[in-house]
Amino acid sequence: MRTYAPASAEAVLERLLEEPSLARGVVHHERIPARAAVTAPLPAWLDERIVAGLAARGIGSLYSHQAEAIEAVHAGEDVVVVTPTASGKTLCYTLPVLQALADDPSSRALFLFPTKALGQDQVAEFGELAIASSLSISAATYDGDTPAPIRSAIRTAGQVVVTNPDMLHSAILPHHTKWFQLFEQVRVIVIDELHTYRGVYGSHVANVLRRLLRLCRHYGSDPIIVCASATIGNPAELAAQLTGRPARLIDQNGAPRGERHILLVDPPVLDPSTGARTSALTHAQRWALPFLRAGRQTIVFGRARVAVEILLTGLREALREHLGPRSRIRGYRGGYLPTERRSIERGLRDGEILGVVSTNALELGVDIGSLDVSILAGYPGSVAATWQQLGRAGRRLEPSVGILVANASPVDQYVIHHPEFLLQGSPEEARIDPDNLHILLAHLQCATFERPFDAGDVFGPGPVDDLLAFIAEEGHIRQAGDGRWYWSSENFPASEVSLRSAAPENVVIIDTSLDRPRVLGEVDLFSAQVLVHERAIYIHESVQYHVDRLEWGERKAYVHRVDIDHYTYANRAVTLKPLDVFAESAATGGRRIHGEVMVASLVTLFKKLKFGTDENVGWGPIDLPELELQTTAYWLTAESAAEGWRRDDLDVALLGAGRAIQAVAAVLLMVDPRDLGLVTQVRSPHQEAPTIYLYEAVPGGVGLSERLYGRHDELIAGALGLIAECSCDGGCPACTGARADPRVDAKALARRLLEALCGVNPKTRPPESTVLAESATG
Amino acid sequence: MSETATLERRLANYRAALAERPRTSAAPPRRSSVVAATLLADAVGGEVVTASDGSYVRVEAAGHDVAIDRDRLARLPGMPPAAVPLVCLDTETTGLSTGAGTLAFLVGLGWWGDGRFRQVQYLLPDEADEGALLDAIHRQIPADAWLVTYNGRSFDWPLLVARYRQGGRAAPPHAGHLDLLPVVRRLFRHRMENARLKTVETALLGIHRHEDVEGWEIPGRYLGFLRGGPAAPLVQIVEHNDEDVRSLARVLALLETAYADPAVRATAPSGDLAGLARSFAEQGRLVEALECLETAVSRDIVVRPRVILRWDDHGVRVERPGGGGPDRDRIESAHARLLRRLGRHQEAAAVWFAIAERGGSLSVRSHIEIAKIREHVDRDHHAALRAAIRADRLLSSAWHGLHSDALRRDLDRRLRRLRRRTERAAAATRDRGRQGVPAPRAEHQPAERGRPGRSASWATRST
Repeated sequence: MRTYAPASAEAVLERLLEEPSLARGVVHHERIPARAAVTAPLPAWLDERIVAGLAARGIGSLYSHQAEAIEAVHAGEDVVVVTPTASGKTLCYTLPVLQALADDPSSRALFLFPTKALGQDQVAEFGELAIASSLSISAATYDGDTPAPIRSAIRTAGQVVVTNPDMLHSAILPHHTKWFQLFEQVRVIVIDELHTYRGVYGSHVANVLRRLLRLCRHYGSDPIIVCASATIGNPAELAAQLTGRPARLIDQNGAPRGERHILLVDPPVLDPSTGARTSALTHAQRWALPFLRAGRQTIVFGRARVAVEILLTGLREALREHLGPRSRIRGYRGGYLPTERRSIERGLRDGEILGVVSTNALELGVDIGSLDVSILAGYPGSVAATWQQLGRAGRRLEPSVGILVANASPVDQYVIHHPEFLLQGSPEEARIDPDNLHILLAHLQCATFERPFDAGDVFGPGPVDDLLAFIAEEGHIRQAGDGRWYWSSENFPASEVSLRSAAPENVVIIDTSLDRPRVLGEVDLFSAQVLVHERAIYIHESVQYHVDRLEWGERKAYVHRVDIDHYTYANRAVTLKPLDVFAESAATGGRRIHGEVMVASLVTLFKKLKFGTDENVGWGPIDLPELELQTTAYWLTAESAAEGWRRDDLDVALLGAGRAIQAVAAVLLMVDPRDLGLVTQVRSPHQEAPTIYLYEAVPGGVGLSERLYGRHDELIAGALGLIAECSCDGGCPACTGARADPRVDAKALARRLLEALCGVNPKTRPPESTVLAESATG
Repeated sequence: MSETATLERRLANYRAALAERPRTSAAPPRRSSVVAATLLADAVGGEVVTASDGSYVRVEAAGHDVAIDRDRLARLPGMPPAAVPLVCLDTETTGLSTGAGTLAFLVGLGWWGDGRFRQVQYLLPDEADEGALLDAIHRQIPADAWLVTYNGRSFDWPLLVARYRQGGRAAPPHAGHLDLLPVVRRLFRHRMENARLKTVETALLGIHRHEDVEGWEIPGRYLGFLRGGPAAPLVQIVEHNDEDVRSLARVLALLETAYADPAVRATAPSGDLAGLARSFAEQGRLVEALECLETAVSRDIVVRPRVILRWDDHGVRVERPGGGGPDRDRIESAHARLLRRLGRHQEAAAVWFAIAERGGSLSVRSHIEIAKIREHVDRDHHAALRAAIRADRLLSSAWHGLHSDALRRDLDRRLRRLRRRTERAAAATRDRGRQGVPAPRAEHQPAERGRPGRSASWATRST
């Protein structure tokens, strides 16, 4: 089909759906009707200069959620605002801050954004509104790029300080005496993109906020906290965990929206015996081209930089053949200079640029206006990110189209076959564990450096004397003559704590591609085994790096940039021993347990897998010592569900079911499946029963396992659904994992086991035969 | 299970796992602040002073004769007025960061009283006593005093301010702060290996410390004492700090005796005078600056490779080659720039010419400066072009040394402009030759100048 004439997105979509090869892959087509705006008048108490400033920008009233948010903040309530992309979320926090500064220019506000780029965008936007309101307000970003002379001006005179958690942790809190004006006068703390603070990072940020609020109390300020989040299942809970106090949830969106078409597309299976599918990249390109030719502004998201390059080249090539608007297609990814990014963003807003192929660098709140079509080549890893990317398409008046094209991974497959997941309220939760022992201990040291602790002082869950005494044994802090705990070391603790890692010991990753070596980041030892072993492809901000050398003794990995079409996957050989049980209860067919485990991990070889198809293109050995990891885990036993099973069958069934549970768990808790380790034991020496363990691949865990324990039934049902709905014959990488033995029907075995664990088939019976006819696999 | 209960169990499990590995140290015994203060006072020969919110140890030394003529000192640029009291200050700390968790555990103060240099040191026996120590320091600093420190602007004082703020107290007000580090750098760095206070003592004051404690050892020794260790290792730190404070006074005395009087400083090394001239010039005291530079250039200047004097571990003087610092070219170029500021352009041109003739690393710059004078002062574009071409030839040759891209761009712009002007003038002459019109005066065209901002300020200064 070739469409050159300009046409509406809806018209193009109609034609595409008549094309059988494309229509066949559409698993679900949802029409979300247009919605009118729900508005509310500007509050009477709003400063007239701000009213004038809003009027100058064409704003005479507020959407209902904005009005609700600023009224709540005005009344002194913490809020968490959860509304979609482009719904005017920013005003929910800029208006209260402007009002506070209009009332009292000595007031201060602190804005936290997860990335520097977002912070800089927000400063610019905030500045414009302040100027329009003829308020003279000094708002500035304080990050690693801020020059030294300006830093001291921001410390003493910055009314709105925009920064990120890392800077707060290492530059502001430890030097609070130089920031006393901010701490004394801070009225509002804004935490945007709340949902990005999850897992290890979120657990760290929660502790950074504990330190921040502790200092605010010391300086006598009691700021209101305004959080803004993408749609997740537990925004209020996450806000409460992060800030340590309850927040009012505001999630009734009042912004208008044109009609939207959301399509979930599963590329057809080419070979049912292996489950091989057309790659999401190729398929996404086929969907994108007709829209571009019809002159519709389209954005295509790929998961990695190399995916973006493949897509970009493919689209340009195709448009060249058909004389399309080739030069108006641009790439956009992390690592671009701010000026390049600004020019692309401007081009998108004024229509000069027709198509953009992007990594998730554009996922966060950068303003590019609204486009006609958004196509996702692969599930971006969370429902929240999916909506943020789909939300890039959405005109206020005209219909828009959003298309999610699934990859052949179990997570993608699970999501694509559960439209209700995306469309009816997000079931995924952002989990953190601010009381992860390693993380809490690290921040207690930083907090002690900042201010001594009195005996009996509370930090986080309760009094921390025991923990302080424990740290004192290492000699870093000391109980002085007055009974208070003081920092007692010449080290600067914040510089030794990375917010990206839970372990005290890390491998530093050094990029040698540039003239001068640069530290890319850190990974804990346990992750280092599989992420930065020699010849691994390490992916950082969508850029690939080849690991040239891993100096295990020195804890350093040397890498250089590459652009290649594969990634690496290291096999972990794991032995697991339960240490403690925190909770246990009976479940259908067995028991479910949450507790602490010791995992011994040995990594001996890695595979090279092709992007998109996950095809194995090579392997190599890894020579690293065995490591122990003490962490939390969730496990389930199947003593009655598996009664009477043959040992070999049970082995296959446990592994297949385990992989499906792992995939569903990753979806529900917004994590990479690699963050949850899987161990299955036909007869666990500790449980005396067939057992599936999911352990957290982070020292001490970040609260995932506790939640998995709570959502046990959903996990089993979800895993069963994933396997049952897969269109393969007898197990494939998209459900039970690649088949080890083509004669064994792993799919049927795992399905029977899960049915027994679900209670779908109350009469548990061993399977009759698991050997397929030889002819079926050829 | 409640959150705290889980946390306790996790800690217990973690401890159990750690128990299988060797522990680094046992929990230190607790010692009362009074006991610590007494131990400390006995070791360092001080007295325990107990105030309402804690105790500290005070060590008062016998006064020293460090004579200083404040009127003469005040004549030097940047020095405190004669009438204000001076308080020399130096701290010893538990770390190098000025963050909220670094303690100043020893603060040494020194001031002139009754004709002698008097010193007192305050030592912290325990973190809990900090308030009392800070109050004592506050009382020793009069509000009209100037602080005298070594790197105190960026380290000692901000750290103390942080301590006061941490304790909910206001930092002691004072009228001024003389940080001697930048002064020493400017005047003496050219003949020292580094600008550490210890090096200053050896190179300038003729003092050699014996058995001095190294800076990096200091935090560890004090933290060891806090954890219940002996006070004896702190004795050296107290002596070290005492010397440091006294050296602040000695450096002031040196400045006053050897540099305040023009007749006396005439014998100082040329490099010192060049540094002093910069300080004078910054304060607009151009006549004194010129006097320093004229003295400096009036005699043979030690030229590179220069030698740095130092003493080995046995106090034997050794010499080794050093780099950086002013040589004849640099001092003369400072001289030429000062002459330009004074409007003495022809003299400046002569100095630039002399530098250019020697063919050193500044010769390109010198030719450019001559070109500027010829173009903007003499309005002789041909002479300016000749000078610029000479600069160009040097810059294009391989051996001229390091030059920045900025210099290249500046020169290219200058060459283009001068060529255009001379050609236009030549064309105008030819036209007039044909038409028989008298030549107009050379036009002043500020818009065509290379860098307007710089040229403009140059023009103002040259008036």
